[in-house]
Amino acid sequence: MPVDDRPGDGDGNEATTGTPLISGTNVVKEYQTGGQTIRALKRIDFRIDEADSVAIVGPSGSGKSTLLNLLGLLDVPTSGEIRLRKQDVATLSDSERNRERKQTIGFVFQSYYLIPTLTALENVEMPRMLDRTPKKTRDRATELLERVGLSDRLDHAPDELSGGQKQRVAIARSLINDPELVLADEPTGNLDRDTGDQILDLFEELRAEEGVAVVMVTHDEYVAEAADRVVNLVDGTLRAPDTATRADGGHRDRE
Amino acid sequence: MSRLYRLTGRFPVVVIAWRNVSRAKARSALAAAAIVIGVVAIGAIGAGGAAFKQSQFQSIQEQGATDVFVAPGIDKEPGHFDREDVKAIEETVGSAGVVATRGGEAEWVRRGDRRESVSITYMDDPRSLYTINDGAIPENWRRSIVVSNEFAQEHGLGPESRLTLALDEDTGATYRVVAVLAATQGFGSSDVYLPIEQAPAREYDQVRVRTRSVDRAESTADALRERFNDREDRLLVFELTSLVRLLKTIVNGINVFLTGLGSISLLVAGVSITNTMLMAVIKRREEIGVLRATGYGKADIVRILLVEAVILGVIGVVVGLAIAFVVASVANAIFLGDPLAFTSDSLLYLLGAAAFGILTSLIAGAYPAWRAANERPVDALRG
Ligand SMILES: Nc1ncnc2c1ncn2[C@@H]1O[C@H](COP(=O)(O)OP(=O)(O)OP(=O)(O)O)[C@@H](O)[C@H]1O
Ligand SMILES: [Mg+2]
Repeated sequence: MPVDDRPGDGDGNEATTGTPLISGTNVVKEYQTGGQTIRALKRIDFRIDEADSVAIVGPSGSGKSTLLNLLGLLDVPTSGEIRLRKQDVATLSDSERNRERKQTIGFVFQSYYLIPTLTALENVEMPRMLDRTPKKTRDRATELLERVGLSDRLDHAPDELSGGQKQRVAIARSLINDPELVLADEPTGNLDRDTGDQILDLFEELRAEEGVAVVMVTHDEYVAEAADRVVNLVDGTLRAPDTATRADGGHRDRE
Repeated sequence: MSRLYRLTGRFPVVVIAWRNVSRAKARSALAAAAIVIGVVAIGAIGAGGAAFKQSQFQSIQEQGATDVFVAPGIDKEPGHFDREDVKAIEETVGSAGVVATRGGEAEWVRRGDRRESVSITYMDDPRSLYTINDGAIPENWRRSIVVSNEFAQEHGLGPESRLTLALDEDTGATYRVVAVLAATQGFGSSDVYLPIEQAPAREYDQVRVRTRSVDRAESTADALRERFNDREDRLLVFELTSLVRLLKTIVNGINVFLTGLGSISLLVAGVSITNTMLMAVIKRREEIGVLRATGYGKADIVRILLVEAVILGVIGVVVGLAIAFVVASVANAIFLGDPLAFTSDSLLYLLGAAAFGILTSLIAGAYPAWRAANERPVDALRG
């Protein structure tokens, strides 16, 4: 399993190298529900670099998905600042965020969210379908499905695939636009250990070979161990992980 | 890579939309069926009504809608036209043809001294108003008689038949039939036609002005009234134009009313499509969220959903037009005697029905599309 061999990935001192892919400072996210304000993230800082491999762990309701949505530009923080490379994402318009999502970020969801009317191959092509480069897109999609070991399932509908196969299709889909960051919310949550291992291996391969940063939310200790860093979220704040050896909890613990 | 794929790859929105439409087959079919009903209602009622209108106008035309009928007015002294009067009318109407006639009656003396009254029209040349079906009118028409089709049929007459007419009480003269006219629904036809020379006096009691169109008939009638009826009513001018106009208004009104009813069914179709699309959008909430998360813009979502709605509309319109076309053909066959005798009006109704059908589906799809596009992907993908 992954070996922590990146230089400068020690305790709290790696923040000095290069521009982070995405970083946040004093990020607060609040939800308004029925006159009540829920603080899902309470002034947290984070930083994700190229080829990073980060696991976000924490109890239910601690703000993991909220954080992932912010990283994925699906949502904006209530206060604080998130920068994609050097760009403050708050200054991006809706359509600019859309474009960044398409070009920079790939999503893998716990429940796959494949489009049932499209075949495996078409699902992988989907984020790029509107580009009208059918041949290039198809070649790339075929290649990606081969890579996740599904070259014999190209024309299968999602409901003809097993859970692990669906998740692999979803991963292939997240990679169709050659993203720099893959965000996965419990990518192995519905899978048995063997299949989960395959998925994790795949992520590790991508990270090592293509420099793709992978951030995944998980409840599974075992899955978290596979990541280079573990970020522990508790009640909207970052904590030093129990298994304190490798992960630095996003550079700095608040409080 | 297949050629089909190269083609469909050019229209990804249509491909995605088509898959979604064909996914919920029953629901899509019902929504399209609503459009079918609307299109059939508008198209068939409109086109059928147009055929009916056309048939009515044809018969009015045959009855002389392009003619102006002129009779002596109440102030005319004496109460008939002479050569001078006819000439004056001719001058007023310009290029239009003028046919002066005189009506009369006679006793037809049949075998066994049975007598039967027949109506007579005296005129210069029956060919100026009617067509000949059988026989021919001689160059110098002085003594022979021309009979109407109905009269000939009723009494088994034809060219070379003879009939004795008693114009006055006793004296009977025998005439040889030279021609039988073609059947006509014409206004003011009589049983037999005799040369004007046979009339008791060289007087006319009706002048018929033949124009080429309904509009000209009307302007001719106006010109006559202006010239002769300035202070006194010397002429009784009568044209069918006003009748045609009234009929047109009534038929158009009925047609518009009926197609209006048809439009209501299209409105219902619109509601049905909106409902179908809303259900689809709610069912596909997460799917749409994924599209948005992977870089599809709001406009892309709107486009996909509008194309879906329009696909439903197009299916409905194609089927609806086919049915409406059949119905309209039947109406054409009934009213105009030819299933393919589409008038420009009826084609316009069919075209309008198609356009309305598609427009309806587009409008009906707008709200669901807008709603789906404006849902934030975070909300759609939560839970
Ligand atoms: N849209 C929302 N409106 C209101 N409250 C929300 C919303 N989304 C999240 N929350 C609240 O914010 C907090 C963090 O939610 P979040 O979904 O990030 O938790 P999580 O760590 O992903 O939990 P889980 O492990 O169960 O998925 C929770 O208390 C939740 O109730
Ligand atoms: Mg969550």
